[in-house]
Amino acid sequence: MRKLSKLLLTITFALSITSSAFAVVIASWGGAYTESQKLGYGDPTAKALGVPIEWVDYSGGLSEIKAQKEAGAIVWDIIDVFAFDTINGCDEGIFVEFDFDKDFEPAPDGTPASEDFFTSMPSKCAVGNILYSWNYAYNSDNVKGTPKTIKDFFNTKKFPGKRAIYKSALTNLEIALAASGTKPGKGGANIYKKLETEKGVQKAMDKIKKLCTDPKGGCVFWSAGAQPPELLMSGEVVMATGWNGRFFNATVGEGAPIVQVWDAQGLDYEYFALVKGGPNEADAKKALRMMTNTEMLAGSAKYIAYAPWRKSSIKVMEAGEPWYKDGKTNMVPHMPTAPANTKNYFLVDPFFWADNGTEIGEKWEAMKAGL
Amino acid sequence: MSSETQKILTTDGIPLEESLKKAEKKNKIKAFLLVAPLLLFIIITYIFPIGEMFTRSIDDRMVTNMLPKTFKAMETWDGKELPPEEVFAAFLTDYRALAEKKEHGKLGQRLNKEKNGFNTILKKLWRKMKKFEEGNAKEQIMAIHKRFRDVKYWQAIKRTAPPYTMSKYLKGMDMYYNEDGKVVQVSEDRRIHRILWLRTLEVAFFVTVFCFLMGYPIAHLLATLPMKYSNLLMICVLLPFWTSLLVRTASWMILLQQQGIVNDFFVWIGLVADDSRPEMMYNKTGTYVAMTQILLPFMVLPLYSVMKTISPSLMRAGKSLGGTPFVAFWKVYFPLTIPGIGAGCLLVFILAIGYYITPALVGGASGTLISNQIAYHMKATLDWSFASAMGLMLLTGVLVVYWIYNKLVGIDNIKLG
Repeated sequence: MRKLSKLLLTITFALSITSSAFAVVIASWGGAYTESQKLGYGDPTAKALGVPIEWVDYSGGLSEIKAQKEAGAIVWDIIDVFAFDTINGCDEGIFVEFDFDKDFEPAPDGTPASEDFFTSMPSKCAVGNILYSWNYAYNSDNVKGTPKTIKDFFNTKKFPGKRAIYKSALTNLEIALAASGTKPGKGGANIYKKLETEKGVQKAMDKIKKLCTDPKGGCVFWSAGAQPPELLMSGEVVMATGWNGRFFNATVGEGAPIVQVWDAQGLDYEYFALVKGGPNEADAKKALRMMTNTEMLAGSAKYIAYAPWRKSSIKVMEAGEPWYKDGKTNMVPHMPTAPANTKNYFLVDPFFWADNGTEIGEKWEAMKAGL
Repeated sequence: MSSETQKILTTDGIPLEESLKKAEKKNKIKAFLLVAPLLLFIIITYIFPIGEMFTRSIDDRMVTNMLPKTFKAMETWDGKELPPEEVFAAFLTDYRALAEKKEHGKLGQRLNKEKNGFNTILKKLWRKMKKFEEGNAKEQIMAIHKRFRDVKYWQAIKRTAPPYTMSKYLKGMDMYYNEDGKVVQVSEDRRIHRILWLRTLEVAFFVTVFCFLMGYPIAHLLATLPMKYSNLLMICVLLPFWTSLLVRTASWMILLQQQGIVNDFFVWIGLVADDSRPEMMYNKTGTYVAMTQILLPFMVLPLYSVMKTISPSLMRAGKSLGGTPFVAFWKVYFPLTIPGIGAGCLLVFILAIGYYITPALVGGASGTLISNQIAYHMKATLDWSFASAMGLMLLTGVLVVYWIYNKLVGIDNIKLG
């Protein structure tokens, strides 16, 4: 049976292979983000190496690549993934393990790659790409006063109205604890220490539940990144958690009256992983090396407000301000890593979620079902 | 006289019976060859994947093969308190062997699905075990992390011992095997699947009812109006049918949200106050409205095609025999439309029970269905065996509905046109 299924899947994939036989195929999230990748480092790399780079969209998760691998017909070379997925993919043997300092270029001043990146990688199969933020924003036309802290997000007395929060427990439990007075500590260590206990999880869930059942509050759950600015603009909610790049695009790109609040923001990372046994592994490795160097990573930040992973890339941006593609907006202050934005933050902990995601997910869904 | 001579022969001397059989056999082969492509298609795209799903949902041989010594040592362990030294030692040996083959990551993934938090401690063990001293495995392993001192983690390993297991099906009903091998329920704050199953059934049922209530008069109008009006009406039914599902779902979001067009209108005519706009989106109401509209054509079309075949003279006959219009409708017309009702309801119910994208978008907290959970395990947790198990449970549910329908109405009574 397995064999027959393999054969069938191979036939289905055969066509797509022939169409991309010589290009390096990268699967990413599409939209404005992939556009920034393509213009920022994809196209320059392809030009420099003489290898075409083809971008395909996917919606995250490892199910597709796992299916390709089981069928013995892998068509993707590089995937843009969450930390959580690099850990799982590495464990399942889907991705190539890197020898970090050898496989990636040092900074222009000679600092080895492993020291130039902001933190260490969650697994041996990951190389950092961007840092983004889970923060919250409000529509200044609909909110009286100025929300400044994470406590204000939960303060329905002072700021009545519905809130939009992410559909799953990820980052919601963290901000709930931060709003109930837990100081995040270094990189959010205190928060995750509390979430390791059942009491901590319960406390966070209760806080969210209280917000969602509050007659003056209430929750809308969002699932796609485009939703939070949309919900704010239509007046459906007064405040929304979301990804900072999307809020930036709405404010700077489209002139919407949206204000971001960075208190207790969750810094999260996006990674590239190299597929083991991909159709063009050798070229893909070369392309990956180039795309993640200082200049190239800084290039993508011209098009979107996500921070490049390398410290040296930030320096390149600072020297080149105004860096945004419109030629007049300074980009560095909009980065989630800017000093003004990182006064109180936590790092989203992939290990915690890789470990406890399923169990907490069940509790979260049960809580939601009882709303 | 022998029976031989009694047989009727064809012109070329072969007994007629034999000749007929031959011809029939030829026809049979021809007929089979004609349906063969379809049969093959169904086997490849339908029967075979379902078989594959089934094996995947019960197959747990991976762990069984990965930890042979551990399971052997565990046979004598009663599973109540922490296992003895031999189990720890056997586990360490097995794990070392796996690490050498670089397969220890897969084990961590699998065990983490059985008991959350396993992956981290196994990785920690992997880092630390190189410095282990000979012997005394229990003490050294337990020193690595407090979870290794928690018997629940060892019970989780023991649970994965059998090569084939029904545990995924139990999990789909919020149950699991406890350490005594008994089936028990999971703790109350984690019972999510049963809620979702019931909600899925409820939503599918009511959507079918709403579709029927709205679709029946429409279909009747379509079948009885003069051609030039009915054609226009038909286009009104079909136009949304040809529009993308996502577009229609998004339009409902714009119409029904709190600051949406419908609410604006209510406020404008003074039906509701501006600060107490009703919530019609991101809850069950939204799911009902959007799904009913999307599935309505699947009810209208079979009803219409059946009603079209009912002669109008039958109603007239009923009335001329003394029935009131209602009696004539109820006794004559309605029974004739039952095949169409059956087809429409079954079609809508089966489509609704597996609905995925609309509830995900408009359902909010109270509107996600079991299909969303299946997608979650396919994509996010990569627990494909659990996703397969739930998929099969859903399929079984649909087959049960089909069976009930067959018992109540009879399946040969269905008419799509």
